[in-house]
Amino acid sequence: MKHRPSWAFALAGLLTCEIAIARPVSYAGGWTVIEESDRQSSSALAHYTPSPKWSIGLRTEFNRDMDFAINSIHPTFLAKRWFGADYQGNLYFHGGIGSASGTHGNPLSDETAVYGGVMADWETRSLFVSYRNRYLDAGHFGDQFMQAVRAGFAPYEGDSGELHTWLMLEIDHRPEDQDAVTATPLVRFFKGPMLVELGYNLNVNQPLLNFTYRF
Amino acid sequence: MRIISTLIAVLAAALFAATTTAQEHHDHNQHEQQHDSMEMNHDHHDHAHHEQADQHHDGHAEASSQAVARLTRTDDIETALSEGGEPIVADVLGVVCDFCAIAMNKIFSKRDEVAAIYVDLDTKALSIVLAPGANLSDEMIADLAVQAGYRVAGIRRGNEALGNAS
Repeated sequence: MKHRPSWAFALAGLLTCEIAIARPVSYAGGWTVIEESDRQSSSALAHYTPSPKWSIGLRTEFNRDMDFAINSIHPTFLAKRWFGADYQGNLYFHGGIGSASGTHGNPLSDETAVYGGVMADWETRSLFVSYRNRYLDAGHFGDQFMQAVRAGFAPYEGDSGELHTWLMLEIDHRPEDQDAVTATPLVRFFKGPMLVELGYNLNVNQPLLNFTYRF
Repeated sequence: MRIISTLIAVLAAALFAATTTAQEHHDHNQHEQQHDSMEMNHDHHDHAHHEQADQHHDGHAEASSQAVARLTRTDDIETALSEGGEPIVADVLGVVCDFCAIAMNKIFSKRDEVAAIYVDLDTKALSIVLAPGANLSDEMIADLAVQAGYRVAGIRRGNEALGNAS
Protein backbone atom coordinates (compact mmCIF):
# COMPACT_ATOMS: atom_id res chain seq x y z
CA MET A 1 0.00 0.00 0.00
CA LYS A 2 1.38 3.37 -0.98
CA HIS A 3 1.50 6.34 1.29
CA ARG A 4 -1.87 8.10 1.06
CA PRO A 5 -1.57 11.85 0.44
CA SER A 6 -3.21 13.54 3.41
CA TRP A 7 -4.49 16.50 1.37
CA ALA A 8 -6.54 14.18 -0.82
CA PHE A 9 -8.35 12.76 2.17
CA ALA A 10 -8.82 16.20 3.65
CA LEU A 11 -10.41 17.29 0.40
CA ALA A 12 -12.58 14.19 0.38
CA GLY A 13 -13.81 15.02 3.84
CA LEU A 14 -14.51 18.62 3.00
CA LEU A 15 -16.40 17.96 -0.16
CA THR A 16 -19.22 15.81 1.14
CA CYS A 17 -18.68 13.60 -1.80
CA GLU A 18 -19.91 12.16 -5.90
CA ILE A 19 -21.20 10.41 -8.71
CA ALA A 20 -19.93 10.03 -12.15
CA ILE A 21 -23.32 8.56 -12.84
CA ALA A 22 -25.82 11.38 -12.77
CA ARG A 23 -28.99 10.20 -11.06
CA PRO A 24 -28.36 6.42 -10.97
CA VAL A 25 -32.00 5.92 -10.01
CA SER A 26 -34.65 7.39 -12.29
CA TYR A 27 -38.42 7.92 -12.05
CA ALA A 28 -40.75 4.93 -11.68
CA GLY A 29 -40.84 3.15 -15.02
CA GLY A 30 -37.84 4.98 -16.48
CA TRP A 31 -34.99 3.51 -18.53
CA THR A 32 -31.49 4.97 -18.60
CA VAL A 33 -28.35 4.13 -20.58
CA ILE A 34 -24.97 5.24 -19.27
CA GLU A 35 -21.52 5.03 -20.83
CA GLU A 36 -18.43 5.90 -18.82
CA SER A 37 -14.78 5.91 -19.78
CA ASP A 38 -12.05 7.01 -17.40
CA ARG A 39 -8.31 6.51 -16.98
CA GLN A 40 -8.69 2.82 -16.11
CA SER A 41 -11.84 1.37 -17.61
CA SER A 42 -14.77 1.80 -19.96
CA SER A 43 -18.27 0.66 -19.09
CA ALA A 44 -21.84 0.61 -20.30
CA LEU A 45 -24.90 0.32 -18.08
CA ALA A 46 -28.57 0.06 -18.99
CA HIS A 47 -30.90 0.25 -16.02
CA TYR A 48 -34.60 0.21 -15.29
CA THR A 49 -36.20 1.93 -12.31
CA PRO A 50 -39.19 0.01 -10.89
CA SER A 51 -39.57 2.53 -8.07
CA PRO A 52 -37.82 5.82 -7.32
CA LYS A 53 -36.03 3.99 -4.51
CA TRP A 54 -33.97 1.58 -6.63
CA SER A 55 -32.90 0.58 -10.10
CA ILE A 56 -31.64 -2.63 -11.64
CA GLY A 57 -29.43 -2.90 -14.68
CA LEU A 58 -26.97 -4.83 -16.78
CA ARG A 59 -23.43 -3.53 -16.83
CA THR A 60 -20.38 -4.33 -18.96
CA GLU A 61 -16.98 -3.04 -17.88
CA PHE A 62 -13.65 -3.32 -19.65
CA ASN A 63 -10.65 -2.84 -17.40
CA ARG A 64 -7.99 -1.65 -19.84
CA ASP A 65 -5.17 -1.68 -17.27
CA MET A 66 -5.64 -5.29 -16.18
CA ASP A 67 -7.12 -6.80 -19.34
CA PHE A 68 -10.36 -8.21 -18.08
CA ALA A 69 -14.04 -7.55 -18.57
CA ILE A 70 -16.95 -7.89 -16.16
CA ASN A 71 -20.55 -8.53 -17.16
CA SER A 72 -22.76 -8.01 -14.15
CA ILE A 73 -26.21 -7.38 -12.73
CA HIS A 74 -26.07 -3.93 -11.21
CA PRO A 75 -28.61 -2.77 -8.60
CA THR A 76 -28.55 0.72 -7.11
CA PHE A 77 -30.49 1.75 -4.01
CA LEU A 78 -31.41 5.29 -3.09
CA ALA A 79 -30.90 5.18 0.66
CA LYS A 80 -31.79 8.80 1.31
CA ARG A 81 -32.76 11.90 -0.61
CA TRP A 82 -32.64 15.27 1.05
CA PHE A 83 -35.05 17.79 -0.44
CA GLY A 84 -35.01 21.52 -0.30
CA ALA A 85 -36.49 24.33 -2.31
CA ASP A 86 -33.06 25.04 -3.78
CA TYR A 87 -31.08 21.85 -3.33
CA GLN A 88 -31.11 18.11 -3.53
CA GLY A 89 -28.84 15.61 -1.81
CA ASN A 90 -28.66 11.87 -2.38
CA LEU A 91 -27.06 8.85 -0.77
CA TYR A 92 -26.88 5.68 -2.85
CA PHE A 93 -25.60 2.17 -2.36
CA HIS A 94 -24.57 0.38 -5.51
CA GLY A 95 -23.19 -3.04 -6.26
CA GLY A 96 -23.01 -5.86 -8.70
CA ILE A 97 -22.29 -9.51 -9.22
CA GLY A 98 -21.23 -11.13 -12.45
CA SER A 99 -18.54 -12.87 -14.41
CA ALA A 100 -15.01 -11.62 -15.06
CA SER A 101 -13.25 -12.79 -18.22
CA GLY A 102 -9.79 -12.12 -19.63
CA THR A 103 -9.39 -9.81 -22.62
CA HIS A 104 -6.56 -9.02 -25.04
CA GLY A 105 -5.03 -12.50 -24.67
CA ASN A 106 -5.28 -12.61 -20.88
CA PRO A 107 -5.15 -16.41 -20.27
CA LEU A 108 -6.83 -16.43 -16.87
CA SER A 109 -10.06 -18.40 -16.64
CA ASP A 110 -13.43 -16.84 -15.94
CA GLU A 111 -14.13 -15.82 -12.37
CA THR A 112 -17.04 -14.53 -10.33
CA ALA A 113 -16.72 -10.82 -9.67
CA VAL A 114 -18.50 -8.83 -6.99
CA TYR A 115 -18.34 -5.14 -6.24
CA GLY A 116 -20.08 -2.56 -4.13
CA GLY A 117 -19.82 0.95 -2.85
CA VAL A 118 -21.41 4.21 -1.88
CA MET A 119 -22.27 7.28 -3.89
CA ALA A 120 -23.40 10.61 -2.53
CA ASP A 121 -24.08 13.98 -4.06
CA TRP A 122 -25.43 17.40 -3.19
CA GLU A 123 -26.36 19.99 -5.75
CA THR A 124 -28.14 23.22 -6.38
CA ARG A 125 -28.66 24.74 -9.80
CA SER A 126 -25.17 26.20 -9.68
CA LEU A 127 -23.10 24.13 -7.24
CA PHE A 128 -22.29 20.44 -7.18
CA VAL A 129 -20.23 18.17 -4.93
CA SER A 130 -20.13 14.42 -4.89
CA TYR A 131 -18.27 11.34 -3.76
CA ARG A 132 -18.23 7.75 -4.84
CA ASN A 133 -16.27 4.68 -3.97
CA ARG A 134 -16.15 1.06 -5.02
CA TYR A 135 -14.44 -2.09 -3.90
CA LEU A 136 -14.13 -4.82 -6.54
CA ASP A 137 -13.16 -8.43 -5.94
CA ALA A 138 -12.58 -10.20 -9.24
CA GLY A 139 -10.86 -13.32 -7.92
CA HIS A 140 -7.57 -14.07 -9.63
CA PHE A 141 -8.00 -10.98 -11.78
CA GLY A 142 -7.39 -8.99 -8.63
CA ASP A 143 -9.19 -6.69 -6.25
CA GLN A 144 -9.38 -2.93 -6.49
CA PHE A 145 -10.53 -0.01 -4.42
CA MET A 146 -11.22 3.42 -5.81
CA GLN A 147 -12.79 6.61 -4.58
CA ALA A 148 -13.38 9.97 -6.19
CA VAL A 149 -14.60 13.38 -5.19
CA ARG A 150 -15.96 15.88 -7.59
CA ALA A 151 -16.88 19.54 -7.28
CA GLY A 152 -18.24 21.90 -9.86
CA PHE A 153 -20.23 24.97 -10.63
CA ALA A 154 -22.51 26.17 -13.39
CA PRO A 155 -21.52 29.54 -14.85
CA TYR A 156 -25.20 30.21 -15.64
CA GLU A 157 -28.54 28.66 -14.72
CA GLY A 158 -30.43 27.18 -17.65
CA ASP A 159 -34.15 26.51 -17.52
CA SER A 160 -36.00 23.36 -18.60
CA GLY A 161 -34.88 22.14 -22.01
CA GLU A 162 -32.05 24.64 -22.34
CA LEU A 163 -28.37 23.75 -22.52
CA HIS A 164 -26.87 23.48 -19.04
CA THR A 165 -23.09 23.73 -18.70
CA TRP A 166 -21.00 22.74 -15.70
CA LEU A 167 -17.29 23.10 -15.04
CA MET A 168 -16.00 20.39 -12.72
CA LEU A 169 -12.89 18.89 -11.21
CA GLU A 170 -12.66 15.26 -10.21
CA ILE A 171 -9.94 13.92 -7.93
CA ASP A 172 -9.73 10.15 -7.88
CA HIS A 173 -7.74 7.87 -5.63
CA ARG A 174 -6.75 4.34 -6.62
CA PRO A 175 -4.25 3.12 -4.02
CA GLU A 176 -2.94 0.22 -6.11
CA ASP A 177 -2.06 2.39 -9.10
CA GLN A 178 1.33 3.94 -9.75
CA ASP A 179 -0.39 7.32 -9.94
CA ALA A 180 -2.58 6.83 -6.89
CA VAL A 181 -4.16 10.28 -6.93
CA THR A 182 -5.02 12.04 -10.16
CA ALA A 183 -7.03 15.05 -11.27
CA THR A 184 -9.46 15.33 -14.15
CA PRO A 185 -10.97 18.69 -15.06
CA LEU A 186 -14.10 18.25 -17.13
CA VAL A 187 -17.02 20.02 -18.66
CA ARG A 188 -20.55 18.68 -18.37
CA PHE A 189 -23.21 19.49 -20.94
CA PHE A 190 -26.78 18.76 -19.99
CA LYS A 191 -29.76 19.20 -22.27
CA GLY A 192 -33.11 17.51 -21.90
CA PRO A 193 -32.67 13.75 -21.51
CA MET A 194 -28.98 13.78 -22.47
CA LEU A 195 -25.84 14.41 -20.45
CA VAL A 196 -22.30 14.43 -21.86
CA GLU A 197 -19.07 14.88 -19.90
CA LEU A 198 -15.72 15.55 -21.53
CA GLY A 199 -12.55 15.66 -19.50
CA TYR A 200 -8.86 14.94 -19.49
CA ASN A 201 -6.80 13.29 -16.77
CA LEU A 202 -3.79 15.54 -16.26
CA ASN A 203 -1.62 12.96 -14.55
CA VAL A 204 -1.90 9.97 -16.87
CA ASN A 205 -2.98 11.77 -20.05
CA GLN A 206 -6.21 9.84 -20.52
CA PRO A 207 -9.50 11.29 -21.73
CA LEU A 208 -12.74 11.05 -19.78
CA LEU A 209 -15.95 10.58 -21.73
CA ASN A 210 -19.27 9.98 -20.03
CA PHE A 211 -22.69 9.86 -21.65
CA THR A 212 -26.13 9.40 -20.12
CA TYR A 213 -29.50 9.26 -21.83
CA ARG A 214 -32.77 9.00 -19.94
CA PHE A 215 -35.82 7.57 -21.69
CA MET B 1 1.13 17.51 -8.19
CA ARG B 2 1.62 21.26 -8.57
CA ILE B 3 -1.00 21.28 -11.32
CA ILE B 4 -3.50 19.51 -9.05
CA SER B 5 -2.88 21.96 -6.21
CA THR B 6 -3.41 24.88 -8.58
CA LEU B 7 -6.61 23.39 -9.95
CA ILE B 8 -7.96 22.80 -6.45
CA ALA B 9 -7.20 26.38 -5.49
CA VAL B 10 -8.95 27.71 -8.61
CA LEU B 11 -11.96 25.47 -8.02
CA ALA B 12 -12.19 26.46 -4.36
CA ALA B 13 -12.15 30.13 -5.34
CA ALA B 14 -14.83 29.55 -7.96
CA LEU B 15 -17.01 27.65 -5.50
CA PHE B 16 -16.64 30.42 -2.94
CA ALA B 17 -17.65 33.00 -5.54
CA ALA B 18 -20.62 30.92 -6.66
CA THR B 19 -21.72 30.37 -3.05
CA THR B 20 -21.55 34.09 -2.38
CA THR B 21 -23.61 34.77 -5.49
CA ALA B 22 -26.15 32.13 -4.48
CA GLN B 23 -26.46 33.69 -1.02
CA GLU B 24 -26.98 37.12 -2.55
CA HIS B 25 -29.67 35.63 -4.79
CA HIS B 26 -31.26 33.97 -1.75
CA ASP B 27 -31.30 37.27 0.15
CA HIS B 28 -32.72 39.00 -2.89
CA ASN B 29 -35.56 36.48 -3.05
CA GLN B 30 -36.34 36.93 0.64
CA HIS B 31 -36.51 40.66 0.13
CA GLU B 32 -38.82 40.25 -2.82
CA GLN B 33 -41.17 38.02 -0.87
CA GLN B 34 -42.00 40.99 1.34
CA HIS B 35 -43.60 42.67 -1.65
CA ASP B 36 -46.53 40.61 -2.81
CA SER B 37 -46.88 41.87 -6.34
CA MET B 38 -43.29 42.47 -7.39
CA GLU B 39 -42.20 40.76 -10.56
CA MET B 40 -39.31 38.27 -10.38
CA ASN B 41 -36.09 39.55 -11.88
CA HIS B 42 -34.48 36.58 -13.65
CA ASP B 43 -32.34 37.95 -16.47
CA HIS B 44 -32.35 34.69 -18.36
CA HIS B 45 -36.12 34.31 -18.16
CA ASP B 46 -37.13 36.71 -20.86
CA HIS B 47 -39.13 34.25 -22.90
CA ALA B 48 -42.21 36.04 -24.08
CA HIS B 49 -44.44 33.11 -23.32
CA HIS B 50 -43.25 32.71 -19.72
CA GLU B 51 -44.77 34.91 -17.07
CA GLN B 52 -43.73 34.55 -13.47
CA ALA B 53 -44.56 36.70 -10.48
CA ASP B 54 -43.99 36.63 -6.76
CA GLN B 55 -47.06 36.65 -4.66
CA HIS B 56 -47.32 35.86 -0.96
CA HIS B 57 -45.21 33.54 1.08
CA ASP B 58 -47.04 30.30 1.82
CA GLY B 59 -45.27 29.79 5.15
CA HIS B 60 -43.96 26.32 4.35
CA ALA B 61 -40.70 25.86 6.23
CA GLU B 62 -38.85 23.89 3.57
CA ALA B 63 -39.92 26.22 0.79
CA SER B 64 -39.06 29.35 2.71
CA SER B 65 -36.44 30.49 0.22
CA GLN B 66 -38.69 29.85 -2.76
CA ALA B 67 -40.87 32.53 -4.26
CA VAL B 68 -44.51 31.53 -4.65
CA ALA B 69 -44.92 30.83 -8.33
CA ARG B 70 -47.93 31.14 -10.53
CA LEU B 71 -48.73 29.20 -13.68
CA THR B 72 -45.99 29.24 -16.30
CA ARG B 73 -47.63 29.99 -19.63
CA THR B 74 -46.26 27.93 -22.46
CA ASP B 75 -48.09 27.51 -25.76
CA ASP B 76 -49.44 24.12 -24.67
CA ILE B 77 -50.64 25.52 -21.38
CA GLU B 78 -52.34 28.48 -23.08
CA THR B 79 -54.11 26.07 -25.43
CA ALA B 80 -55.24 23.86 -22.55
CA LEU B 81 -56.45 26.91 -20.62
CA SER B 82 -58.44 28.13 -23.62
CA GLU B 83 -60.17 24.75 -23.72
CA GLY B 84 -61.37 25.25 -20.17
CA GLY B 85 -58.93 23.13 -18.17
CA GLU B 86 -58.24 23.81 -14.51
CA PRO B 87 -54.83 25.39 -13.83
CA ILE B 88 -52.72 23.93 -11.00
CA VAL B 89 -49.33 24.98 -9.69
CA ALA B 90 -47.36 22.70 -7.40
CA ASP B 91 -44.17 23.78 -5.63
CA VAL B 92 -41.73 20.87 -5.87
CA LEU B 93 -38.74 20.34 -3.61
CA GLY B 94 -35.47 19.11 -5.03
CA VAL B 95 -36.00 20.08 -8.65
CA VAL B 96 -32.57 21.33 -9.67
CA CYS B 97 -31.85 19.90 -13.12
CA ASP B 98 -33.32 18.81 -16.43
CA PHE B 99 -33.45 15.15 -15.37
CA CYS B 100 -35.77 16.25 -12.57
CA ALA B 101 -37.97 18.07 -15.07
CA ILE B 102 -38.03 15.07 -17.39
CA ALA B 103 -39.07 12.75 -14.57
CA MET B 104 -41.99 15.02 -13.67
CA ASN B 105 -42.98 15.38 -17.31
CA LYS B 106 -42.90 11.61 -17.93
CA ILE B 107 -44.92 10.72 -14.84
CA PHE B 108 -47.58 13.41 -15.15
CA SER B 109 -47.95 13.23 -18.92
CA LYS B 110 -49.06 9.60 -18.64
CA ARG B 111 -52.24 10.73 -16.89
CA ASP B 112 -55.29 11.31 -19.05
CA GLU B 113 -56.35 14.08 -16.67
CA VAL B 114 -53.31 16.18 -17.61
CA ALA B 115 -53.69 18.26 -20.78
CA ALA B 116 -50.49 20.31 -20.46
CA ILE B 117 -47.50 20.43 -18.16
CA TYR B 118 -44.36 22.49 -17.68
CA VAL B 119 -41.62 22.25 -15.05
CA ASP B 120 -40.01 25.61 -14.35
CA LEU B 121 -36.54 25.21 -12.85
CA ASP B 122 -36.39 28.91 -11.99
CA THR B 123 -39.38 28.75 -9.65
CA LYS B 124 -39.15 24.99 -8.91
CA ALA B 125 -42.82 24.84 -9.79
CA LEU B 126 -44.85 22.33 -11.73
CA SER B 127 -47.52 23.96 -13.88
CA ILE B 128 -50.41 21.74 -14.94
CA VAL B 129 -53.61 22.35 -16.83
CA LEU B 130 -56.15 19.57 -16.55
CA ALA B 131 -58.29 18.32 -19.39
CA PRO B 132 -61.78 19.92 -19.38
CA GLY B 133 -63.90 18.30 -16.67
CA ALA B 134 -61.01 16.23 -15.31
CA ASN B 135 -60.01 16.12 -11.67
CA LEU B 136 -56.66 15.38 -10.03
CA SER B 137 -56.63 15.52 -6.24
CA ASP B 138 -53.86 17.09 -4.19
CA GLU B 139 -53.08 13.65 -2.80
CA MET B 140 -52.71 12.20 -6.29
CA ILE B 141 -50.46 15.06 -7.38
CA ALA B 142 -48.27 14.50 -4.32
CA ASP B 143 -48.16 10.75 -5.04
CA LEU B 144 -47.21 11.30 -8.69
CA ALA B 145 -44.41 13.62 -7.58
CA VAL B 146 -43.12 10.87 -5.28
CA GLN B 147 -43.16 8.43 -8.23
CA ALA B 148 -41.00 10.93 -10.08
CA GLY B 149 -38.64 11.01 -7.08
CA TYR B 150 -39.61 14.38 -5.62
CA ARG B 151 -41.84 15.97 -3.01
CA VAL B 152 -44.58 18.54 -3.27
CA ALA B 153 -44.45 21.45 -0.83
CA GLY B 154 -47.64 23.23 -1.80
CA ILE B 155 -50.44 23.22 -4.37
CA ARG B 156 -52.51 26.10 -5.72
CA ARG B 157 -55.46 25.89 -8.06
CA GLY B 158 -57.67 28.13 -10.17
CA ASN B 159 -57.25 31.86 -9.73
CA GLU B 160 -54.60 31.36 -7.09
CA ALA B 161 -52.53 29.34 -9.56
CA LEU B 162 -53.04 32.01 -12.20
CA GLY B 163 -51.95 34.73 -9.81
CA ASN B 164 -55.37 36.38 -9.75
CA ALA B 165 -56.16 35.67 -6.09
CA SER B 166 -56.55 38.75 -3.93
